[in-house]
Amino acid sequence: MAIEVKVPDIGDFTNIPVIEVLVKVGDTVRAEDALVTLESDKATMEVPAPSAGVVKELKVKLGDKVSEGSVILILEAHDEAAKPATAAVAASPATHSAPAASASTAPPIVPTTPTTAQLDVAETAVPNQPGRAAINPTNPPIAPVDQESFVMAHASPVIRQFARELGVDLSKVKGSAPKGRILREDVQAFVKSVLQSAASAPGGAAAGIGLGLLPWPQVDFAKYGPIEALPLSRIKKMSGANLHRNWVMIPHVTNNDDADITELESFRLQLNQENAKSGVKVTLLAFLIKAVCNALKKFPELNASLDGDNLILKHYYNIGFAADTPNGLVVPVIKDADKKGVMQIAAEASAFAAKARDGKLGPADMTGGTFSISSLGGIGGTYFTPIINAPEVAILGVCRSTIRPVWRDNAFVPRLVAPLSLSYDHRVIDGASAARFNTYLVGLLADMRRATL
Amino acid sequence: MSDNLLLECDVLVLGAGPGGYSAAFRAADLGMKVILVERYPTLGGVCLNVGCIPSKALLHVAGVTEEAQALAAHGVSFGAPQIDLDKLRGWKTQVVSKLTGGLAMMAKGRKVTVVQGNARFIDPHHMEVTLTDGKNQAIQFAKAIIAAGSQAVKLPFMPDDPRVVDSTGALELPQMPERMLVIGGGIIGLEMATVYSTLGAKIDVVEMMDGLMAGADRDLVKVWEKKNAKRFNKIMLKTKTVAAEARPDGVYVSFTGEQAPAAPERYDLVLVAVGRRPNGQHIGAELAGVAVDERGFIAVDRQQRTNVPHIYAIGDIVGQPMLAHKAVHEGHVAAEAAEGRRSFMDARQIPSVAYTDPEVAWAGVTEDEARAQGLRYGKAVFPWAASGRAIANGRDEGFTKLLFDEETHRVIGGGIVGTHAGDLISEICLAIEMGCEAGDIGKTIHPHPTLGESIGMAAELYEGVCTDLPPKNK
Repeated sequence: MAIEVKVPDIGDFTNIPVIEVLVKVGDTVRAEDALVTLESDKATMEVPAPSAGVVKELKVKLGDKVSEGSVILILEAHDEAAKPATAAVAASPATHSAPAASASTAPPIVPTTPTTAQLDVAETAVPNQPGRAAINPTNPPIAPVDQESFVMAHASPVIRQFARELGVDLSKVKGSAPKGRILREDVQAFVKSVLQSAASAPGGAAAGIGLGLLPWPQVDFAKYGPIEALPLSRIKKMSGANLHRNWVMIPHVTNNDDADITELESFRLQLNQENAKSGVKVTLLAFLIKAVCNALKKFPELNASLDGDNLILKHYYNIGFAADTPNGLVVPVIKDADKKGVMQIAAEASAFAAKARDGKLGPADMTGGTFSISSLGGIGGTYFTPIINAPEVAILGVCRSTIRPVWRDNAFVPRLVAPLSLSYDHRVIDGASAARFNTYLVGLLADMRRATL
Repeated sequence: MSDNLLLECDVLVLGAGPGGYSAAFRAADLGMKVILVERYPTLGGVCLNVGCIPSKALLHVAGVTEEAQALAAHGVSFGAPQIDLDKLRGWKTQVVSKLTGGLAMMAKGRKVTVVQGNARFIDPHHMEVTLTDGKNQAIQFAKAIIAAGSQAVKLPFMPDDPRVVDSTGALELPQMPERMLVIGGGIIGLEMATVYSTLGAKIDVVEMMDGLMAGADRDLVKVWEKKNAKRFNKIMLKTKTVAAEARPDGVYVSFTGEQAPAAPERYDLVLVAVGRRPNGQHIGAELAGVAVDERGFIAVDRQQRTNVPHIYAIGDIVGQPMLAHKAVHEGHVAAEAAEGRRSFMDARQIPSVAYTDPEVAWAGVTEDEARAQGLRYGKAVFPWAASGRAIANGRDEGFTKLLFDEETHRVIGGGIVGTHAGDLISEICLAIEMGCEAGDIGKTIHPHPTLGESIGMAAELYEGVCTDLPPKNK
């Protein structure tokens, strides 16, 4: 039975590109085998085979834009009882990483942004003519120019040369002269538009800024001992690009403080005892989320985003938290956390964590955050600098709580202390506000009754 | 290793043919320190010394001689030509030395160091040259451009005999043969046949394929064939030369195939012109790490770079077509790329010319190729029988053919057969590179009366606005 495999419900996304086609016509696939990979601005998603079968016909190719319901391929199913061809989509989040969450609502930098796709920026070697071997020089091409189309583009030899000098793929340039002839001005305008779009798109900003940095050091590591090259995972590569942008573009300042959570911890243990039967375990994170919501309401500029000359204040409190999974770090978002009780937050967080471990988090689970928390409490450390998850403006890092001597009433007393590190965007938040936020948060955690005030 | 002090340069160019000297001069003009290595004492390579140029000197003489004789039909008769072979050789030599001398001057003017000798790579940054005095000269280079060219293919069974020559030998005009055999019906063989037949030789041509002048459209070749029917004693197609024996009275050659004579034929001179083989295997490329295929070609990318990124290759050694004008452009690209510029070989067309009589020239897509590729093309053929100038010249056998993209009307190819076709083809080359439409060419005012007009008229014909031909029968 031939079945059409369609793009399943992928959340709020339409026209998202196919970034990998994992099968070809004639391939035999098992049920749940990945067929294609889609990439939204939040995550990459693999569309699995609804049943075992043989790929009869591919309906999409690399770079095609698809939406829910788009036909991906025709599958000749082995299994007569094949389910309807809309399968659940398995998403592996694309843009998150530790220690800072780095989810983004902007397209991640991948080698399909205009900068690299249309400007042949690399010194590339390309086949000269049919029958000649393609040579791979020191730098492999980033975005190979379609050589055949380049030569046949409606442009004179000197314009072809001009395009080569600028690394422009002429086959992508629209000519403005009669009948689409490409002029020098068209090549210039093309370069300008590519650079501008790269600069204005948050994802490609680095290209427009021109930091004028030294080239990356070239070291022959093998010279000094045995080495091994491990390719970065897709998630790593994409989250890396996001982190890099956020680090470079946001003036980070980190404010460290200590929260006395002795009382909170005993309350937490007590709660867990009471709820032992229901199975819901309250974590420190759930309290942190609750307390952060409370603090954000008092300091709204931390629950905000920069938009040109405007600061967008958000009247909703969606708190993302970094979760470690085998596939990399993900940041599921607890929606409207301010309206939820600690028990509910704890239950949701633990459900998200389980989903994340199974790689089942969907894009909707990871979008819409207004503030992030990165907790290393289970691991260790004292303080660190979390990287802000743009376009959010602040992130709270938490390290392991320890018993410390605290000077109280003329004596040192042992108290359980949680180290907090708040990184904030100094363009939006000044040092005093951040310190006030931290102090307020520390006060809440010391006595959660204040959260009800 | 080196008997002399090590020489150093930014760019070493191996081979001083048209590609090599163009690369060397361009590199020098870009400010690089250039050493040009050449095994022969003069610059210019096969083209200037023993190819394009001397053959054109002889073809010029042949052409004028035949034209003079043809005037008898128009009322002007000359006596039978008296041929002084020594003087003719002298004229040819003079032409060559004028050009090679000019090249030497230009090399000097650009401060390009010329080193004469046989060279081979010894590692990716050194070349060793055996100089004419037997000493070895090592040269260290940052970049290299291989322009080592090609040589005529030899037939293993041909006897080592002064009466068996390749194109170089034929250009020396060793004797005035009575009967001559040309093995290979390509451009080189037919040009030499034209010269020798004018000088009085009775010529046979043998060709393995089913037609002469491979690569050109058959309609063009047919015109040449008709005009040259009397030039040849016989043309043996689909026929293979299988053996040859040198005897005192001549070279006896045996054939097999469709049109092969039963018994061996006797010839006073045999020209072997069965193609050229690249010199990739003779330069120690492996020591530099440059990959050479089993036929001797070196693969390059669009910037003429070999698999070794700082070593480039151009001209005959990188592949067909083995033409000087292709090599020159590749040489410029290689020199500019070596200097770090983003130059690419992005030509849409490389013209071919047979300097026979009439000449045959073509550029861009041939009609055979268009058909084979299934292109949607349109065609316009302007017969020279309608050209005032061709008629006045007494040479109206030719025609001009243009091929167009049916959708855009842009010219994608063209072919000309007729006198001076090789000079006329350039307009079509330019039109293809510029993406001209038929209308662009037709509306360009061509001088009248000229042979070049035929290109404008062919374009007009395609657009249905030509008034120099009878109306189409509706």
